[in-house]
Amino acid sequence: MGLREEFVEKLSELDEGGAVELTQKRISAGEDPFLILEDVRKATDIIGKRFEEGRYFVSDLIMAGEILKQIMEILKPKLGGKKAESKGKVVIGTVEGDVHDIGKNIVIALLEAEGFEVVDLGVDQPPEAFVEAIKKHEPQVVGLSGLLTEAIESMKKTVDAIRDAGLRDRVRIIVGGGRTSEEVKVYTGADDWADDAAVGVRKIKALAGVS
Amino acid sequence: MDEKALKMMEERRQRIEDVINGKEPDRVPITAATAVWHGAYAGYTTHEVLFDFGKCKNAWLKVARDFDFDTFTVIAGLEGMIYTVAFLEQPDISASARFILGPTHLALQDVYSRWPGYELEKNAHPQFIGKEIMNVSEYDQFIENPLDFINRVAMPRINRRLSNLGSAEYNAALAKFGAEVAKFGAFMADVSGELAKLGYPTFPMSWAYAPLDFISDFLRDIKNMVMDLYRYPDKVKEAVKAIKPLIVKAAEVSAPPKEIRKAIFGTEIVECFFPLHLNEYLNPKLYNEFYWPSLNEVFKEVVKMGQTPFVLFEGKHDAHLETLLEAPKGKVVGVFEKTDPRKVREVLGNHVILVSGPPNSLLISGTPQKVEDFMKNLLEDCKEGGMMIWPGVDGGLSRDAKPENVKAMVEAVKKYGKY
Repeated sequence: MGLREEFVEKLSELDEGGAVELTQKRISAGEDPFLILEDVRKATDIIGKRFEEGRYFVSDLIMAGEILKQIMEILKPKLGGKKAESKGKVVIGTVEGDVHDIGKNIVIALLEAEGFEVVDLGVDQPPEAFVEAIKKHEPQVVGLSGLLTEAIESMKKTVDAIRDAGLRDRVRIIVGGGRTSEEVKVYTGADDWADDAAVGVRKIKALAGVS
Repeated sequence: MDEKALKMMEERRQRIEDVINGKEPDRVPITAATAVWHGAYAGYTTHEVLFDFGKCKNAWLKVARDFDFDTFTVIAGLEGMIYTVAFLEQPDISASARFILGPTHLALQDVYSRWPGYELEKNAHPQFIGKEIMNVSEYDQFIENPLDFINRVAMPRINRRLSNLGSAEYNAALAKFGAEVAKFGAFMADVSGELAKLGYPTFPMSWAYAPLDFISDFLRDIKNMVMDLYRYPDKVKEAVKAIKPLIVKAAEVSAPPKEIRKAIFGTEIVECFFPLHLNEYLNPKLYNEFYWPSLNEVFKEVVKMGQTPFVLFEGKHDAHLETLLEAPKGKVVGVFEKTDPRKVREVLGNHVILVSGPPNSLLISGTPQKVEDFMKNLLEDCKEGGMMIWPGVDGGLSRDAKPENVKAMVEAVKKYGKY
């Protein structure tokens, strides 16, 4: 097995020590950091698929996020000012009245590893914050996150505010969180929904036109 | 008490007792619970109903009068099991300190929770966010003497007002906390009496927890705990082993004494409450290694004491259903949030007493007709052998659940839930 395959395997197997050590080794050997980044994306894709197949659970995604963070810390200084080609831009935040963020943060870690530019608005964000962020960052996709059942009403208000600001046609909207469903998607006027992080990432990719 | 109310209370109590005892009653009972829906229904803000017990009571009784549930419980607080354990030496305080309440949050200024009217806007739902209280290097100290660690090390870190042991602020905060907890205990007893006049029974409750959830929710924080499972598996196992007897003890002291149960509540049943949190997070390997064995041991201990574990299986429990066959048969009540109750029946039969109900998304965004259709299917598929309905199965009735949909749910149970 080559070093690249070994790296993809260790990362997708969530071998924290092994994956971080191999990253160091590849950098020390003078390898192009963009190649490593490409492998990170491959591994992230495998992790997402394993989650959807029921082999990985939320704890595995949290661990994956933690390993990815450590690898990115090693890679970032080596990438210099250059950026990998962006797959798209996503604005994401937890809606008003809700201060939960575990799910949102997993989605962000996976999206960034996949090569998306993510603008994280944080938690308890009113509709206007999403409207302003859409104007400023012009994302393809907006993610409205929330865990509480009370977040459903806030999601609806946020989609309404985006529509009232005349921005609805410029973005695709996904609602995400443990209590979302097809019904919630229809009720809030979003384009899609996800009640787990890996499905969320897959659907965001689809909404952004990336397969 | 008038005879009609007494008769109604007995009927409702019988329905629930039958299901818990493995029998089919006259019809499926509805055991409703909420944190704030009653307030919204009665026209109060979320802040008002959580901080003013008088308003909470008005709203609670208004719902009890206007809706025909079999029990109606308001859980006006957030996870606070660490207080029940910390105050084990004082059983009455320990039992009433189970939930962080608006007033106790103000008294102690805990770092875990956020409240409407303070950290959040006045109609937001209160939220337990948690925090890392114990760092990795302190596992050994915790394992050595968990009760001492919780009191001496954790409490001052959890509660801003208890950060300076022996200070005037510290003593005042603890006195205030005790007073608020006592007030809450009296409030619950008062409401229970008022509910009886309206024909509603109250079932005594006791408090337990999954040992790993305890360490995760109150000491390490969920994210750190997940990483500890990979990085320090042995420490986690020892910590779970150390906390388990304290949780069993908490269940024992928080239940009303056996001798007075029947006289006060009219029933021998004690529902021992377990809200599960990490179950959905863990893959089967981690679940079977770190979570389930100690949880099942607590189930067994609690059953031995004559209590009935009343377990909220939060999120999707699908991957772990079969482990429940190892739990005491017919002794555990399970509320399944996102696992299809048909699947629960298929895998577990009557091994676990099934509780299910419409999700809040349906009660918020659906119509009475959709609710009726949902309930008809659910009851036809699952009621055989006995079950209970917990409306808003994902966390109890949401603030935004539409009253007409809740009414439709009740009517559907009366129509399709008869045996």
